[in-house]
Amino acid sequence: MDGSSENIQFSWGNKRAKGGAKMDTQFYGSFTFDNVKYSLYDSVYLFKNGDPEPYIGKILKIWQQKQAKKVKILWFFSPDEIRSYLSGPVAEKEIFLASGDGTGLADINPLEAIAGKCTVVCLSKDERNRQPTPREQEVADYIFYRFFDVGNCTLSDKVPEKIGGLEVNSLLNPKDEQVTCYPDQDTQGVDQKLGAGLVAPLPQSAVEMEDKNPVAAVTPPQSGAIPLPPAVKEEDKAKVAAVPLPPAVKEGVPKPTQDIPKRTQKDLSEKMPSKKLKLSQDLTGPSVVPVPDVKVHPGQAVDRSNWFTPLPWDQELQASDEEGRLVYIQNLDIQFAASDIVELIREALQLTCRARPINHPTYDDPNNGKAYAVFKSKKAADVAISKINSGLVVGGRPLYCSKGLLKIKKPSGALVGHLTISNQKMSQRQREDQKKAVSTSHCSQPNTIEYDLALDWMLVREKQARKFSILHKKHADERKSFAAKIGK
Amino acid sequence: MATSDEQVEQEYADFEARVKRTIYIDHLSPLVTSQIIKAALSQCAKVVSSEFIVNYTIPYDIPAAALVELEDESQAKAAVDLMHDFPFIIGGMPRPVRAAYAKPEMFRNRPRRPGLDMELRWVKEGDPEYDGMNKLKMLAKRQAAEQMALVKNQLEEEEELATQQQETLDENYKKYAMLEDMVRNGEIDNLARHYEINLHHD
Repeated sequence: MDGSSENIQFSWGNKRAKGGAKMDTQFYGSFTFDNVKYSLYDSVYLFKNGDPEPYIGKILKIWQQKQAKKVKILWFFSPDEIRSYLSGPVAEKEIFLASGDGTGLADINPLEAIAGKCTVVCLSKDERNRQPTPREQEVADYIFYRFFDVGNCTLSDKVPEKIGGLEVNSLLNPKDEQVTCYPDQDTQGVDQKLGAGLVAPLPQSAVEMEDKNPVAAVTPPQSGAIPLPPAVKEEDKAKVAAVPLPPAVKEGVPKPTQDIPKRTQKDLSEKMPSKKLKLSQDLTGPSVVPVPDVKVHPGQAVDRSNWFTPLPWDQELQASDEEGRLVYIQNLDIQFAASDIVELIREALQLTCRARPINHPTYDDPNNGKAYAVFKSKKAADVAISKINSGLVVGGRPLYCSKGLLKIKKPSGALVGHLTISNQKMSQRQREDQKKAVSTSHCSQPNTIEYDLALDWMLVREKQARKFSILHKKHADERKSFAAKIGK
Repeated sequence: MATSDEQVEQEYADFEARVKRTIYIDHLSPLVTSQIIKAALSQCAKVVSSEFIVNYTIPYDIPAAALVELEDESQAKAAVDLMHDFPFIIGGMPRPVRAAYAKPEMFRNRPRRPGLDMELRWVKEGDPEYDGMNKLKMLAKRQAAEQMALVKNQLEEEEELATQQQETLDENYKKYAMLEDMVRNGEIDNLARHYEINLHHD
C-alpha cells in the first residue's frame, strides 16, 4: 500500500501452509485489515470501481506471494444478477451462493479490494448446516439457502457435496453462534446507538451522491466492521456479528437504478478517513470500514458485471413478456428517444425500466408514438400500467398502455410482387442463370416487359404515399382542433 | 447518467449529420441481405452500414425495410433521386424498391433530442380536464384503428396487383413457350404452309 495518503492498518493472522512452485507463497488463515479481523470463510464485501453496490463473497483462501496479498473469493449472487434464471418468490435479504464449475464461481482478488465484513446466515435445512437461531437470522445482513450453479445456470436448494474443491461444511453456518461483543455496552444499547450514530454521519459522505442508495450501500460495511481489540484478541470463536441495519440499508441492498450518479472509489475513500475519527468518538469501538484507496492498488474486485450483461433487446422482450414485465405504451410523441421514455417513467412512477420506441416508419401513424417498456418485476409493470392509464399526460398527450407483446407474424418468404416463372421444362443450369438474373439488382430498362410491370408498382405506391399523408394530416388536424376545443 | 447539456447537444448534432447521409429503403424483399443492398447501391453510393427495421407493431405480412447509411449527403441524394426516377430492382422482379431520406424518429437507438416538451401531468378522475383527456385518448385509439385499416387496405391492393401481374406473366410465358416449341419441332412450318404465309423473307 504505497503512494497512499494514509496507510491502512494491516497485519497477518495465523499462518498455514507454504506453497507455490518456488515455495514463495505463504497461506494464511486470517488477517486484520484496517482493524477488522477477517478469517477463512468469512463473508465480505468487495467494491467494484464505479459501482455503488458492492459484491458479496466468501473468503476461500488467503495468501501472499512476493509482495502481493491475495484472496480467493467464492461469490454470492444478488437476485438481480440472476434475474433471468429466477422464478418464484425471493426472500427478504436473500442472496445465492455460487456452486458448480465455470466462470463466475470464484475469483482471485487483491486483498485490498475487501471493503468490509458482513454476516450471511444459511437457512438450509440440510443436516450439515447448523440451524441458526431466530436472533441470528434477524440480525444477519443476508441469508441464503439456495445455490446457483454457474455451469448450467440453474438454481437449487439442494446442498452440493463440494464447492470449488472444498467440502461444503466449511461454507455453511459456523459451529458457534456469532455474538456481538462490545467492551462496555450491552448489545441492545449498542444496537440503538449504532443505528442512530451510523446514519447520522453518513449523510455527509452522501452529500455528493443524490440518491439514498449509496448511503445505504456504505452502511452495511460500517455495521459489519464491529470488531474491537479486546474481542478480537480473544482467540476463541466469539466472532462479531453485524448490528441490525438501519432501515435505510434494506433498500440499499437491491440494485440501485442506473441513474444513480456513479460513485467512484475515490469519493468514498476521501470521505471515509475523516469519518473514522468522528465515528470513533460517537460510538465506542466500531471502526470505520476500510475502503481501499484507489491510489493504493487496483482496489477493486474482479469485474463481474460482464458475466451477467443484460439480455439483448429482442431476447429481453421475449423473456420479459413471459414474466409479465412488458408494457406497451402508446400515444407518445414520436420524437421521444429511448432514454427520454426511461427518464419519463422514472420521473412519473419512480420505476426503472428499459424502453424503446418501436414505430414502423412506413406503416405507423407518426402522430402516435409507440414503445415497449420492460420493468424489473411483474408487480412494477402492473403498477405502471394502472398508474399510466389512470391519467398520465405528457406534453398534452394522454398516454395509454397495456401488457404484453403484440402478435406479429414472422415475415414469409418472398416479397409480394416478386414474380416467379414456373417452368418445369427448364434445365438446372437455365434455372440457375435465371435466378442470377433475377437477383442482380438493376435499374429497369424501358424496353422490357419488366419495366411496364415495375411502373404499375410505382403508380400503386405513389397513390399509397398520398393516401397515408392525407390520413396523417387529417389525424394531426383532428388532434389539434380537439385539444383547442377542450380548452387546453 | 447526467450528461451535460452541451454533451447532449453535441451527440444530437452528430446524430443529425448521420441522419442526413442515411436513406430509408422500403418495399424490400425479406430475402434481401445487407450484402445485396451494398452491391445494389454500389453504382451510385458507398454503403457504410445498414440496419433492418424490425416489425414490432404491424400484424400483417409487410415488406422489409432498412436504414442504409452512406458515405455522405450527396450520395444519399444521388441514391434517392435515382430510385425515384427509375424503377430500381433489388433481389426480385418486377416490384421496385422505394427510397426516401431518413428521419430522426426512424432510428430506434437515437440519442435524446434536446428541447423536447416532456412536461408531465396527472389528470385524475374528478379533475376538470379528465373528460377531455379521456376523449383525446379515444380519438387516438380511433385514429390508430383508421391507420391499421388503411395499411390493411394498401396491402390488399398490392396483393391484387401482384396476383394480376403473375397471371399475365404466366399467360405470356405460356404463349412464348408454345411459340418456341413450335419453332423447335417444325410445327411452325406446317402452320405457315397452311395459312400461305412466307416465313423466310429474303
